[in-house]
Amino acid sequence: MADEATRRAVSQIPLLKTHAGPRDGALWPQRLKEEYQALIHFVEQNKAADNDWFRLESNPDGTRWSGTCWFIHELLRYEFRLEFDIPVTYPATAPEVAVPELDGKTAKMYRGGRICLTDHFAPLWARNAPRFGLAHLMALGLGPWLAVEIPDLISKGLVVHKEREREGAAE
Amino acid sequence: MAADWEEIRRLAADFQRAQFADTVQRLSERNCIEIISKLVQDKKLDVVHTLDGKEYITPAQISREIRDELYVHGGRINIVDLQQILNVDWVHVENRASDIAKSDKGVQLVLGQLIDDTYLDRVAEEVNDKLQEAGLISIAELCKNYDLPGDVLSEELSKRLGKLIQGEMDQYNRGVIFTPAFVARHKARIRGLFSAITRPTPVSSMIGAFGFQEHLLYSVLEELVNTGRLKGSVVGGRQDKAVYIPDIYSKTQNTWVDSFLQQNGYLEFDALVRLGIPDPLSYIKKRFKSNKLLFLRAACVGQALVDQVEASVEEAVNSATWTDIQPILPSCLSMEDIGMLINQAMRNTNVQSSARVLGGTVVVSEKFISNCLSVFDEVMQQKAQKEVKNNPVFLISEDDLKHVSTLTESSALSKKEKREAERRKKATEGSGSVKAGGGGNAREIRIRKTKKKGRKDEDSDEETGPSQQSRMHNKPTAALFMTQEEIVAVLEEKLSDCPEEILSELAEHLVRPLSKAYQEVLRAVFMSSTSSPSGANKKKSMKDLQEEITNLYNNIRLFEKGTKFFSDETQVNIAKHVLKTLCTDVTNILVNFLAADLMMSVENPSNISNEVRVKILGKLSEETKGPLMKLHNCLNGKTIEDFLTNIETCAEVCGFMLKKGDKKKERQALFVHRQALTEQLKETEDPALVLHLTSVLLFQASTQCMLHAPGRCVPQIIGTLTGRIPEQQQLLSSYQSLVVKQLVSQSQSRKQEEAEGEADKTEEQDEEAGSVRTQLMALTPQVKDVVLSQRKTSGIEE
Repeated sequence: MADEATRRAVSQIPLLKTHAGPRDGALWPQRLKEEYQALIHFVEQNKAADNDWFRLESNPDGTRWSGTCWFIHELLRYEFRLEFDIPVTYPATAPEVAVPELDGKTAKMYRGGRICLTDHFAPLWARNAPRFGLAHLMALGLGPWLAVEIPDLISKGLVVHKEREREGAAE
Repeated sequence: MAADWEEIRRLAADFQRAQFADTVQRLSERNCIEIISKLVQDKKLDVVHTLDGKEYITPAQISREIRDELYVHGGRINIVDLQQILNVDWVHVENRASDIAKSDKGVQLVLGQLIDDTYLDRVAEEVNDKLQEAGLISIAELCKNYDLPGDVLSEELSKRLGKLIQGEMDQYNRGVIFTPAFVARHKARIRGLFSAITRPTPVSSMIGAFGFQEHLLYSVLEELVNTGRLKGSVVGGRQDKAVYIPDIYSKTQNTWVDSFLQQNGYLEFDALVRLGIPDPLSYIKKRFKSNKLLFLRAACVGQALVDQVEASVEEAVNSATWTDIQPILPSCLSMEDIGMLINQAMRNTNVQSSARVLGGTVVVSEKFISNCLSVFDEVMQQKAQKEVKNNPVFLISEDDLKHVSTLTESSALSKKEKREAERRKKATEGSGSVKAGGGGNAREIRIRKTKKKGRKDEDSDEETGPSQQSRMHNKPTAALFMTQEEIVAVLEEKLSDCPEEILSELAEHLVRPLSKAYQEVLRAVFMSSTSSPSGANKKKSMKDLQEEITNLYNNIRLFEKGTKFFSDETQVNIAKHVLKTLCTDVTNILVNFLAADLMMSVENPSNISNEVRVKILGKLSEETKGPLMKLHNCLNGKTIEDFLTNIETCAEVCGFMLKKGDKKKERQALFVHRQALTEQLKETEDPALVLHLTSVLLFQASTQCMLHAPGRCVPQIIGTLTGRIPEQQQLLSSYQSLVVKQLVSQSQSRKQEEAEGEADKTEEQDEEAGSVRTQLMALTPQVKDVVLSQRKTSGIEE
């Protein structure tokens, strides 16, 4: 599925214990706490490996998350916005991550820029629910998807670096 | 609850803080690699990465590490090993290593290995140790041990020879190192060994036997030979077939050859070859240039020996004897060589014509041989006499006849006639006829004719080669004096000291001259025997002969008449008998008469056998031959009539007149015949003969016909007599049966004697035979009496 480094990284992310969704009231903050702890751990880990590639923040309820993610290809950094909601059936159902900027540019995407993760990630998630959390979602879902799709899109010219875009515009 | 949310808020804040923490300062490994590779690409940095990509290393460090490794590995390391140790790409290692080898004189790169001087020094020291121990070391062996190429090793070692290595290298073969001690030892051994050699020895075998170093050996040997320490020479260079020939050997060889020649007067090539002289002939020629040596096939002979042979040959010739050369010659000479030597000697002494070589080694003078011939004179004379009497036919061949005729012809004409006549008379006399015959003159003329004819023929090829040759061929068969063995025997008697082989060869030589001489002698004897009688005799004998023939002729006719009384079968039997006896006699007389003309007559004509007759007939002239041949043939016929007609013509041809007998003569003949038979009967006691004679006489008495019948026809004769002599019939038949019995018992007893049968039977038969004998004894006078008494009556009748 993902490369060896990702696997190792994922294995270091602490697994979640609480089985609770946003509708579960008292248990949800518990779950949220674990989500945060996992995310912090994952981010720190990434930073330690000089592999920081996203920013995330949520609303106070923790049901809606947004941020940016980036991918470095040939010493150029391509950055995209990302957003997703926590579904009511969470954690049985994985959140659907969307990258609106790339909507319509690739086949591996649903309407609204939701990336297509069903093939590999969905079964994986289903197997590991409820122990997988958002950190896993980022590491095993979005990360590999970006690694595969972005170089392809760049080579097709569908994604252009912003500076180049500017230069191109200036010309 | 509120506390939870508080905590969540705090965690969210922590998360944000974590997200914006210090990622900026950190340079990741990937970046480092990228930076360095960029720098290397821009040639701003000279580093090499290790194979696992974990480290960078500068070339200088590689060099240093290579040197360190070289040191650690004892001065020799393989670049492949080095590459594994340094974990740097092979190209860099090799580059640096070759750089080091180039820059540093003490280090070199050999077969992908770095080797420094300390290592080589150590190797040299090791080699030195080994060398001192073994005395010699081959580079090839070192190559194997140290796994280094030979040229490098030999180069490096030769650099260190004399310093680290106490030894020297063979200058002809750089593959071996010696210590001086070893060389000295070797030299001493070689010196000793080759000093001890006394015969040519192949050097290679010495190497094999004593384990010398081949190249060292050759160089040392050369040196020793050149300095004169070794007296000898090496032939064949430095190859396998090189042979060392010590001077002493060639010296002894020469002295041996010299002394042998001096002592024995000859040299055998084989002996020289055995001495090891490969080409004896040229060796001898070179060595004895001044000596006059006679070269033979397998040896050469000195002058002294040749002189000796010549002397003995000369002596043999001069003293008219023989000499055996063998004893004075060395035994090793082959027969061929001896022959050559003797020939040479005979040539030198000029006695080839007066001597000859027999048996290969014996020289016999011709005089001696002729002396030997004379030994036989007497024997020859005797033998010739005997032979002439016995069988002249076999002695005389056609050209003898010619010879005789020429002899006679060549003598004076006046004498010739006389001589011929004499000869002929003598011949007829010799033939032994008692009664004289007529018609000699007619015969004379005939003979003259044939003689002349013969001479003409003979003139044409007289004394030419072919006749001579034919004579040679004929001789041995016609008249061989003595066989070779006989001659040998005679010679052995006379020349007791001759070796046997010589005798046989001598005999071989003598056979021809002897038989030639014998022919001469024989002819002489013959001539003398034939030419003696007188002319009167001749005529007389001719008359006698005629009478005898006529007599016999008439008798035969009378006998023929007698046969007519018998049945066919008996007639034939009797006729055959007559032909075989009387007729043959007549024929023989005739033939003998003719043979006398040809000097072939025999003493007693009746002895002439069928073959002899044919032979004589073959030599007769055509005129007489035809009828006589016919006559001869009808002797084997069945009827007397044929014979009679033939004999008439024959007699005519031969010049005889056959008078047919008149009555008176016939009666006279009958009387004579009977008289003769009676005489015989009176004398005989043999019952069978008595019966035979009696029956024949009785037959004549009763039929007035003469009968000449064989014994087995007696029963038939008696059968014809039955009825004519009734009174004696009984007596005769009983006598006949007794005779038959006796004959049967005799033949039986003979058989039994052979078989040694049972005693009883023989006794019985003896008794029987005895009784028969007594009966016969009793009857015999009676039977005799029958005829003898009858004679008077018959005589009265006549």
